[in-house]
Amino acid sequence: MSELSGTPRSGVIHDLGYRHFDGVREGTPAIARTLFVTGVRHAYGLGRSGKSKVMPFLLLAMSLLPAAIVVGVVVLTGLDSLPVSYADYTNQTQLLVSLFAAAQAPVLFSRDLRHRSIVLYLARPLSAPVFALMRWLSLAVSMLVFTLVPTLLLFAGALLAGLDKSDQLTSVGKAIALQVLLAAMVAGIAGLISSVSLRRGFAVVGSVMALIVLTGVVTVVQNIAYYEGDSESGSVATGLASPWSLHNGLANAWDAGVDTPAAVGAAWVPAYVIVALLLVAGCLLGLVARFRKVGSR
Amino acid sequence: MAGVTGELIGGPAVISTAGLTKHYGNVHALTDLTVDVGAGVTGLVGANGAGKSTLIKILLGLLEPTGGHAHVLGHDIEQQSQEIRRLVGYMPEHDCLPPDVSASDFVVHMARMSGLGASAARERAADVLRHVGLDEERYRPMGGYSTGMKQRAKLAQALAHDPRLVFLDEPTNGLDPAARTDMLRLVQRIGSDFGIAVLVTSHLLGELEQVSDHVIVLDGGHLLRSSSTGEFTERTGSLLVEVVGTETERDRLGEALAQRGLTCRPRGAMVAIDPPPPELAEGGAAQDLIRDVAAELGLGLMRLQPDRRHLEDVFLEGGTRV
Repeated sequence: MSELSGTPRSGVIHDLGYRHFDGVREGTPAIARTLFVTGVRHAYGLGRSGKSKVMPFLLLAMSLLPAAIVVGVVVLTGLDSLPVSYADYTNQTQLLVSLFAAAQAPVLFSRDLRHRSIVLYLARPLSAPVFALMRWLSLAVSMLVFTLVPTLLLFAGALLAGLDKSDQLTSVGKAIALQVLLAAMVAGIAGLISSVSLRRGFAVVGSVMALIVLTGVVTVVQNIAYYEGDSESGSVATGLASPWSLHNGLANAWDAGVDTPAAVGAAWVPAYVIVALLLVAGCLLGLVARFRKVGSR
Repeated sequence: MAGVTGELIGGPAVISTAGLTKHYGNVHALTDLTVDVGAGVTGLVGANGAGKSTLIKILLGLLEPTGGHAHVLGHDIEQQSQEIRRLVGYMPEHDCLPPDVSASDFVVHMARMSGLGASAARERAADVLRHVGLDEERYRPMGGYSTGMKQRAKLAQALAHDPRLVFLDEPTNGLDPAARTDMLRLVQRIGSDFGIAVLVTSHLLGELEQVSDHVIVLDGGHLLRSSSTGEFTERTGSLLVEVVGTETERDRLGEALAQRGLTCRPRGAMVAIDPPPPELAEGGAAQDLIRDVAAELGLGLMRLQPDRRHLEDVFLEGGTRV
């Protein structure tokens, strides 16, 4: 604050006092949309520290790399089909997809509960169910984007290589529909685990156990049942036990180019769909109950 | 329990409850609370566990009452809690700030969660952070804040959307005396200059005496009293006397006065005299008597003043009544 002698001060800071806000206030749908968009951005570390962008984008790059190589090979050598189907590509990169969910779910589900800022959200117009639903939707859409980007890269490569457009379109459509279901399931499981175990480390380990280890166990049991136990139905029934085997089983039944230990017959499709939907619904109910309980404390 | 309705300072009640009750199993957090709150600053006093936070959470719709009704800003808490949450701000007692976000970003986000558009939220956040006194540090992650700065950030998020009513749960918790004074001054400004009704809780009665227009006292989930702060601190008719010397001199005076028909008790270095009997109450006869007694005993009279009530007395009265 230097006062120059002789020169009259030209700039004066006026204290306007407290000003009321009389502009437009958005309704609940707009607030929910803001929460959803913020959630998707945060899942990729956008709008957060530089460090938090490393993990999601590293995983995304790793899941894109094989697709880029496949596209290069197909375009240069002129193969008449993709060496891997769209749905199977997602299956082959399942470790990365599961890791993304396990690593980013705590960002959306643990932080508000651990630091108790959830109370500040619930003291605002959004109710606990809407809040939980929007958080889940943020993670599910982030995961869908994660699986969609390599799929679209493959699709673009297939079109560049001059493969049959309608064949590819059918195939990619099936893969995307399966990815939507997969994202809904995995986001529910990882979200529920993160909302219960508030320490990031435990949440990540819990999600890894539920998504990666369980899927490995299910695959082993499916193979043993089919090849050793000669039980085709036992093998297919075991596939109901993890989100990835549900995804692969449905892809197999739908002829989307994924091999399962035993072929999933049409009779099993309703069971697979119902279990998948129940899984999503169960996770959502669990999330709502969890947020409501913590919010009232 | 009879509901006591306080005076309302203009207009309809900001909050009104009728028979509000909340039981957790055998724990009775609130019992049959009937009270009205008007504009300005209202203090909600009670010991820890008296039901202050429970009341606020019920009014916000975060907890369901076991029985009774309540209206906030004319909206029913059970039917229209979303409408209520649109119009009120809430500063919780506990820590609720994510450590890796700056106060500026956080308040903007919270304003958006209350329905303000992106640019309006930024403008309001800057305004409100200035009012609560967070300057350059608003751009630093909140994990590194002192308790005083955290309390300011919590207050800022409660005001971000220009609410018509704010619930401040123990805003002075953990603050040093200077920061405490600042915070109380701010609370008073919110009620008067900002024109936002305030319901502020504290377990320290003296604090609320300074800033509230109206005080509600809760004890064990029961309403002990609800009236304007002026009524609480009105004159009681008692007198306080202090003489030069030690406790020996104090007791000599007390005993001599007791012999003349005044009821005396020691209070610190002073003698507290209960309202004098009718024959001494007229025209300062009691004061004359005290002066004469002190002169007879050869004691130097240092102080002779009317006693004012303190909020603490309400608890003492309540304690004897129950």
